[in-house]
Amino acid sequence: MADITLRVNGATRTGSPEARKTLADFLRDDLNLTGTHLGCEHGVCGACTVIVDGRAVRSCLMLAVQAAGSEVTTVEGLAPDGEHGELGPLQQAMWDSHSFQCGFCTPGFVMQATAFLSDHPDAGEQQIREALSGNICRCTGYQSIIDGVLLAAQRNRTLRNRTPRNRETLSEERR
Amino acid sequence: MTAIAAERYTGASIKRSEDPRILTGAGRYVDDIKLPGMLHAAFVRSPMAHARVLSVDVSAARALPGVVAVLTGAELEAITVPGPDALMALVGWAGPTPEFTLLATDKVRLVGDPVAVVVAESRYLAEDGCELVEVEYDDLPPVVDAAFALDPGSPPLFANLGDNIARLHSRHEFGDVSATFARADRVTDLHIDVHRHQNVPMEGRGCVASYDPDSGVMTMHASTQSVHLTKIAVAMRLGMEQDKVRVLAGDIGGSFGLKIGASREELAVAAASRQIGRPVKWVEDRGENLTASGQAREESFDVRAAVSSDGDLLGLDVKMVVDTGSYPGTGAMVPDLMEAMLPGPYKLAAMGFESIGAITNKATYVAYRGPWASETFVRERVLDLIAKDLGLDPVEIRQRNVALRTDPPAVMITGRPLVGVTAKESLERVAQLVDFPAFRRRQAQARAQGRYLGIGVATFIEAAPGPRSPEGPSGPMGLESMRLRLTEDGIVVLFTGQMPHGQSHQTTLAQIAADEFGVPFEQVRVVVGDSAVVPFGLTGGSRSATMTGGVALHGARQLKAKVLDFAADLMEVSAQDLLITDGNVWVRGDPASAISVTEVAQRAASGPSGDGAAELEVEATYDGGEGGWSGGTHCAIVDVDAETGIVKVERYVAVEDCGALINPAVVEGQIRGGVAQGIGAVLLERSAYGEDGTFQSATFMDYLMPTACDVPRIEIEHLETVPLDADVNFRGVGEGGMIVAPPTVVNAIEDALSPFGVRIYEQHLPPARILELIAEADPGGERR
Amino acid sequence: MKLPEVEYEAPTTVAEAVDLLAEHGDEASVLAGGQSLIPLLALRLARPEVLIDINRVDELSGVSAADGHVTIGAMTREYVAEESGTVADTLPLLAAALPLIGHEAIRSRGTIGGSLAHADPAAELPAVARALDAEFVVRGPSGTRVIPAAQWFDGYLTTSRRPDELLVEVRFPAAGPGTGVSFEEVARRHGDFAIVGLAASLVLSGGVISDARLAFAGVSDVPVRATAAEDLLAGARPSAELFDEAARRATEDLDPPADLHGSSDYRKTVAAAVVRRGLRAAADNAARGSN
Repeated sequence: MADITLRVNGATRTGSPEARKTLADFLRDDLNLTGTHLGCEHGVCGACTVIVDGRAVRSCLMLAVQAAGSEVTTVEGLAPDGEHGELGPLQQAMWDSHSFQCGFCTPGFVMQATAFLSDHPDAGEQQIREALSGNICRCTGYQSIIDGVLLAAQRNRTLRNRTPRNRETLSEERR
Repeated sequence: MTAIAAERYTGASIKRSEDPRILTGAGRYVDDIKLPGMLHAAFVRSPMAHARVLSVDVSAARALPGVVAVLTGAELEAITVPGPDALMALVGWAGPTPEFTLLATDKVRLVGDPVAVVVAESRYLAEDGCELVEVEYDDLPPVVDAAFALDPGSPPLFANLGDNIARLHSRHEFGDVSATFARADRVTDLHIDVHRHQNVPMEGRGCVASYDPDSGVMTMHASTQSVHLTKIAVAMRLGMEQDKVRVLAGDIGGSFGLKIGASREELAVAAASRQIGRPVKWVEDRGENLTASGQAREESFDVRAAVSSDGDLLGLDVKMVVDTGSYPGTGAMVPDLMEAMLPGPYKLAAMGFESIGAITNKATYVAYRGPWASETFVRERVLDLIAKDLGLDPVEIRQRNVALRTDPPAVMITGRPLVGVTAKESLERVAQLVDFPAFRRRQAQARAQGRYLGIGVATFIEAAPGPRSPEGPSGPMGLESMRLRLTEDGIVVLFTGQMPHGQSHQTTLAQIAADEFGVPFEQVRVVVGDSAVVPFGLTGGSRSATMTGGVALHGARQLKAKVLDFAADLMEVSAQDLLITDGNVWVRGDPASAISVTEVAQRAASGPSGDGAAELEVEATYDGGEGGWSGGTHCAIVDVDAETGIVKVERYVAVEDCGALINPAVVEGQIRGGVAQGIGAVLLERSAYGEDGTFQSATFMDYLMPTACDVPRIEIEHLETVPLDADVNFRGVGEGGMIVAPPTVVNAIEDALSPFGVRIYEQHLPPARILELIAEADPGGERR
Repeated sequence: MKLPEVEYEAPTTVAEAVDLLAEHGDEASVLAGGQSLIPLLALRLARPEVLIDINRVDELSGVSAADGHVTIGAMTREYVAEESGTVADTLPLLAAALPLIGHEAIRSRGTIGGSLAHADPAAELPAVARALDAEFVVRGPSGTRVIPAAQWFDGYLTTSRRPDELLVEVRFPAAGPGTGVSFEEVARRHGDFAIVGLAASLVLSGGVISDARLAFAGVSDVPVRATAAEDLLAGARPSAELFDEAARRATEDLDPPADLHGSSDYRKTVAAAVVRRGLRAAADNAARGSN
C-alpha cells in the first residue's frame, strides 16, 4: 500500500489504497464518492467514466495509485451544491431533455459528454453519437441523451455569441 | 363525476423530480450503501454445466486473513427452510416443482451455479477467498438444448422430477380447429426459432442483508421490482415471520423483469448475515449477471397456418417448446401468456396451442420485458411469409386481417374482448407517415446499385392492463393499493408499493395527484421502497399507468373529500362550496376566503379543539376501471450490406396507442428503450452456449449491447385513443417496444433480402447469419 | 471482478524498468495504458506476480520525425498520436487507424507501445505496423535490439520481446509523395475490434501503383501481410477488376479463426470485401493527394 495524494473535484484528498484497487473503487469506497458507478468492470460500458487530467477515462481501468498527483473530476464535481443546488449546464440540459430513466449509466454519460463538448463544442448529432457510443444505456435508446447533449451545445453557443469569456467556464468544468 | 381540477400537469412532459439526484451522482443504489460492520460476499461458482459435486473444501478459504465466514450449500440448507421458487409458490403453480437448494449441494446444473459463499472484509478479499475453495466435480453429460432435454435418455437435472420436463405437455383448442384447417385454401407449415438473450440491466442484482440479532429483524436493502415480494421470499426461505423482515429499496439501476422476489444468491446472503450477525453486501458483477442471473426468450415454434387464397389468416395451430434453463420458474409459466395473446388484434376463426417446457443446463429462464413477446414475433412473421406467398403487401395483409372496432367489441379467439383497440388506425397512420411507394422506388434504385434496403411493419397489442374482466380486477396481479396522506406540512404524500426502476413514478404519480387534489406538483411526494411503510405492489406487467395512476387519481379525490370535510368545519361552510386549486382551499366565488392547504393541515394536526389530531389520510384501492389495451404498429427501414451482412436501421417509426398520456416524455422514453432492446436482440445480443454447455458470452465483449450508433431516431406518433373509462384512461407502455420491435426489424431485413429469395424463420441475425441466409437462398450467386 | 493480489513497481526511468524486468522475468507484466491488461486482471485471466507500471517513465513518450522515419515512444498515448500534427503529416496510415481504436476514453489511456506489445491480431495498430514494416526497439539488460515487424508478431497475443526486455519505441517509415492510405474495417459496432480489417497503403505515381502494402487484422493469430495481392498491384493501374483480383489473391489462402462473431468462411468473405473497399479508398486517397 502506498500513500497517495490527488485532487478530486478541486479538493486535496489522500488515501492508502492497495496497488490492485481500481480508481473506481477508490473513489467509491475510500472517498465515498459513489456517483461513479460500476457497470462491467472490464472497460466496455463507460458507467465508471471520470475526468483525469482533462481527459475522460474509464476509472475501472486505472489503478488508484496511478492517479496520484492528478486532477480528477467526478460527477459530484459538476454541481458543487449537489442535487439541491444549481446544476451544471450539461446536467440542466439533460434534465430539460428527459435524458435518463433508471440513472445508473448517467454519471458516465455526463462525464464523457462533458469532456467531449469541451473539445468539440460544435459537434453535430452523428459526431455526438460516435463519441458516446462507448457508453451503454439500457433504458433510453439514447435519443433523449443525445438531445440533452445537443441542447447543452446549443445553449453554450448562444452564450458564447453573447460573451467571449464563457468558453473558459466550460473548459474549467472539465478540470 | 369527472374531475373539476384544472389539468395542468397530467399530459405534460413535466421535468422529473428524480433527475437532480440522478444527474449529480446522488442516486442511492444498493452498492452505494455502507453500514457499520458490513461485510462483502462473493460466490464460488461452477465452471461446469452439469456435474456431481463430490466434495467442497473451504478450509483454506476460511483461513485467509480478512475472510470472516464461508458457507457451503449444505451448511446453508441447514439454516434455511427448503422449498420451491417463491414466485411459483405464490402463483400456485401446480406443475412439476423441482426441489432445489440455495447453493448447489450435490449437483451443479449450470455454468455459474453457486457452490459456496465467501464473506470477507472486502469484495477483493472475498474473491481471493473464493479462489481458495476447492471443489471436486464429477462431470455429467450436459443437457444443452431442449431437444435433448425432452429425450427420455437425457440425464435428469433434478432427481425428484425424474426427467427434464418443466411443464407438462398441454393442448388447448379454440374454435373448430380441424374444420377451419380442412376448409382452408392452403395450409402452411413452418418452424420459427427465437434465441436466448437476456435483460442486462446496467445495475446487476444485489442486496445488503442486515440481521439484527437483538431484535430478530432482517433488514434487506434490495434492488427489486417489489419490496413486498422480496420480503415474502426472504421470510419464506429463512423461516421468519413476515413482519420480522423489512425490505428497503432506493434507486434501482434497471431490471426489465429480472429482479422479482429474491434470487438464490440474495437468499444465501440473507442467511449468511443472520448466521454471522453482521450486515453482508453482495452485488453481482457483470460476469455473474450474464452467466447466472437469468436469461429469456429461447423458444421454438412449429406453426401451421390456415389461409385463404385472398390472404385471410383463418387459423393457427402452434406447438411451442420453451427452454426454461436449469432452475425452472417463469419459463414454465410463460406459454400460458403466449397462448392467450397469440391471436393479437386479428380475426382468427380457430387456434390450437400446445406447449412443453424443457429443463436444461443453462441459466434459469426469467421474465424479460414482455415475457410472452414471441407470440407477436411468430404471428407477425407468419403474416409476412403468407403475404409473400400470395403476393400481398405487408400492410395490406394486416388491414385485411385486423379486427375492426365494433360495438360490442370483437373478441379474441382466446377470450378477451378487443375493447378500444386501434390496430387498424395504427396501420393506416403508418402508411401515412411512411411513404411506401416512394420507398419502393428508392429500394429499386438501390438494388440496381447493389444496395439492399428493406421495409417492415408489425402490429401488436399488449394487456396494459387489459380490458375489464368478469373475473375481477384488470390484469393478473389484483387490486392496486395506495395510502395517501396530507401531512402537517401540507404535503400530499402517496405511499405506493410501486418500485420504479426507470419508470419515473415519483414524477408521473405526483402529476396525477397534484391535478386531482389541487396542489402544485412540488407539494406532492411519492414514497416508495419500504415494506414497513408502503402497501403491497409490484412494478411490472405494464400496469402501473392504469392501476397506480388510477388509484392515485381516485385516492387523491378521496383524500381531497376528507380534507374538504375538515376544512368545511374549520371555515364553517358546506364542503360542496369549497374548491382546492393551486394549494389553496377557498369558497367558490370568494377568492378572499382562501386559506392554504398547509394551514388546513397544520390545523388538523393540532386538533380543532386541542384534543387530538384529525387524520387526513385515506387508504385507496383500484380495480383498473375499464382497463384497456395498448398497442400499435411499428415500421423499420433497414440497409443490409450483402457483402458483409452488416445491418443498419435507417429509420424507425412507432405509431402507438397507450390511452391518455400522463407524461409524454416518459412514455416516449419507455417506447424507445424497448425498441432499442428489440434491435439489440435481432442484430447483436445472444446468450451463447457451446455444445459442451460452456457459456460463451460472459463479458460485454461477447454479449453485445446496442449503442448510440445502433439505434436511430425513433419517430413516435400517439394515436388519439378511445376513452373507455370516465376517469382513468392511462394505459401501460413499458413492454410494447420490446415486443414489437424484433418482428418489425426482421420483417424489414427479409424485405431487403427478397431479391435473393431469402425467407427468415429466426430472430437473431448477426452479420454472419445474413450472409448464410443469402448463400442458402442463392447458392449459385446468380441473384447478387 | 476484482483484481487479484499483485506486487507493484512504478519505475521512473527505462533503466529502472529494465532492471525490474531482469529481476522478475516472466513473473512480471508491464502495465502501460492498462486498457487491455487491467480487464484481464479483473477477470483473473492474467496472474502476474508483479506489475511494472511504466506510466511514470517520462522518457518513453514522444513523437519525433527525422531522416524519413517517425519514432514514437512506447508510452505515447493513442490520443496524443491522434492529435499529433507530425503523425498526420508523415504517417497517414496510422492517422487513419487511430480513430477506430475503441472509444475516446480508451485512447485517453491506451498507448501505441502497449497496443503493439499486447499484439491482439484483431486490433488496428498491429496491422498498421505490419503493413509499414515498422521497427520495434527493445531494451534489455544486454542492450538494445531492433526487431522488424515481420518478426515482432510471434503468435496470438505473443511477441518476440523477451521477458527481460522493455519495448521503448516504434519506428515507422514516413510516407512518401503520392501515398494514399485507408484503414477499412468491418466491426459489429462502432469502436469494436475488427471482425476483419485492412491497413492499406499505396503509392500512385503517374497513375501507376507502386509500393502497395496491405496487412490484415482479424484473419489469423497475427496480423497478415497480403503479399500475393501486393505483388499483383505493383506496377498496375487501379481498376475495379484489379481490386477484385487482388481481393481473391489476398484471401484464397486465408484460414481465419472462427468465434462467436463469425465462422472462418464468413471472415474470408468479409476479408475479400474489405480488400476491395480498402483498395478503392486508398487509391482515391492517393489520387486526391496528388492533385
